[in-house]
Amino acid sequence: MRRLALALLAVVGLLAVAGHLIAPHDPLAQAPELALRGPSWVHPFGTDYLGRDVLSRLVAGTGTTVVAAVESVGAGLLLGVLPGLASLWFGRGVEWLLLRGSDAVMTLPFIVFAVAVTGILGNGLTQAMLAIGVLFAPLFFRVTRAAGLALTRAQYVEAAELFGASRWRVLRTHVWGKVAPTVAVTAAQATGGALLAVSSLTFLGIGVQPPAPTWGGVLASDLGFLAQQPWAPVIPAALIALTVAALNTLADDRGLRAAR
Amino acid sequence: MTTLLERPEAPPRAAPPAGDRPRRRRRRWIGASVTPVVVFLFSSLITFTLGALSPSNPAAAVLGETATPADIARMNHEFGLDRPFLVQYADWLASAFTGDLGRSYFTTIPVADSVFAALPVDLALAGLAVLLAVLLGGAAGIGAALRRGGRLDRAVTFVASALGTLPPFVIGIGLIVVFSVLLKALPAGGYVGPQHGLLPWLRFAILPALALSLDIAANIARQLRTSLVAQLGENYVTGAVVRGLGARRVLFGHALRNAIGPALTVLGVGVPTVLGGAIVTEKIFNLPGLAQLTLQAAAQHDVPVIQGTLLVTITVVLACNTLVNLALLRLTPQGRRS
Repeated sequence: MRRLALALLAVVGLLAVAGHLIAPHDPLAQAPELALRGPSWVHPFGTDYLGRDVLSRLVAGTGTTVVAAVESVGAGLLLGVLPGLASLWFGRGVEWLLLRGSDAVMTLPFIVFAVAVTGILGNGLTQAMLAIGVLFAPLFFRVTRAAGLALTRAQYVEAAELFGASRWRVLRTHVWGKVAPTVAVTAAQATGGALLAVSSLTFLGIGVQPPAPTWGGVLASDLGFLAQQPWAPVIPAALIALTVAALNTLADDRGLRAAR
Repeated sequence: MTTLLERPEAPPRAAPPAGDRPRRRRRRWIGASVTPVVVFLFSSLITFTLGALSPSNPAAAVLGETATPADIARMNHEFGLDRPFLVQYADWLASAFTGDLGRSYFTTIPVADSVFAALPVDLALAGLAVLLAVLLGGAAGIGAALRRGGRLDRAVTFVASALGTLPPFVIGIGLIVVFSVLLKALPAGGYVGPQHGLLPWLRFAILPALALSLDIAANIARQLRTSLVAQLGENYVTGAVVRGLGARRVLFGHALRNAIGPALTVLGVGVPTVLGGAIVTEKIFNLPGLAQLTLQAAAQHDVPVIQGTLLVTITVVLACNTLVNLALLRLTPQGRRS
């Protein structure tokens, strides 16, 4: 299972880096006379309502989708892990404030908030991903706190403090190593969630403007033509589902779990 | 959707002194009702700050390119945008409590009117979705726990993890394909309010509600299965069986009460997901709810409308979370005991 998941993620990674070069056709080239064709040798996944090659659109859209998901998880890590450590080591006032802040962010409805952020700050991928990152922050915040809580009283941490190590040094060398594996597992899970969120947003036309190919965008253009091509959404949906499943498999992996 | 669950605290080992109980209990109730207020202040501040961060100047956007700086200044004054930030926030929040969410920059229709015209659609949809989630997830979770390792158990586990890997809207598309395109049994989109009769409403609402509910139903089933399996192995269950209580009494009177905590928490945490997912679902099924309002406002950078919808959604979410927390306090034995 683990090998399979890694292989799948490697393929997705390759497509993300070199998708535009690999794509057999121009993902933007329209051919109205070929619109809504079923699978053929030239177009293995068929064509969409503008006659664009679906395979090429999916392959070329991988980069945007994956980069967006990774960006949002990165933002979530930064906004979650640092406050998580701060809440444990910087006194009760900071802790209370951060906990309530995290509660507040958790009440923000996922997609509504992302749509609102792009509506106000501009409809770009960075804005959308920042919004998703903010929403992921409580997850990392809580996981970091849970993993770090026992360490605040650990003897080797106390010993390091008694030896006069600075707080920064204690956190960096003694705490981070213990917290990191848990955070890594959570990050793998969160990347799956982020992929789903990115697909939902690009499906709504948030973050990426329509002609540019994305996984969610392909689904959105299938939606209008379900009567003609009821099978069409299966391909992008399967692509998303398999990638998320691979990430989940990796996160659930026993080896990784044992490491923490 | 990722959710990090707060497990209810483990019951205290030693019972607290008897005289201490009412006070602890009161403190818990106060905690469960005061925290939401603080959280509301935080999240409304986030909402308002978002608007203040907006790079687009509403006056310039409304007046167009021919506006003189004097015009823009006059317009800013009219909208109250030339006052200090915290004053604007306090003012905005105070008028929000009186039901005034400001006016749209573009249509000048009061935001509250548009929001409350759209909200019933979402609430009806979300309510039906939650009901379906509880019924489906509860039945699946209990069934799986009672026949642990059986066919139903494995099927529930598989379906639950498969649903977790699909974007929620794909389920909606799948339902349209099966029920509208292939079976031609239900409409693929559109909406009729429940005030026009329950059955016509159900015809339009059942598919979107089902699409919304499956994700949470899967989570509920998973949590309920895990905690119920753990509870069924406890001594008090064996004791109840030994005392001769019927299987139904043991399950519903004892084990389920203790096992329901995590599942209820999933439901509480799931409310933002339902309301967030409702936006995408509404778009797919072409429903006249908050989604259209929000998406249109986002496209126009209509800050008051965006803030208004966000604030109202947050309020609904918080209200649901608080209700779930209070229900947990009442329902679970450990909540009542302490």
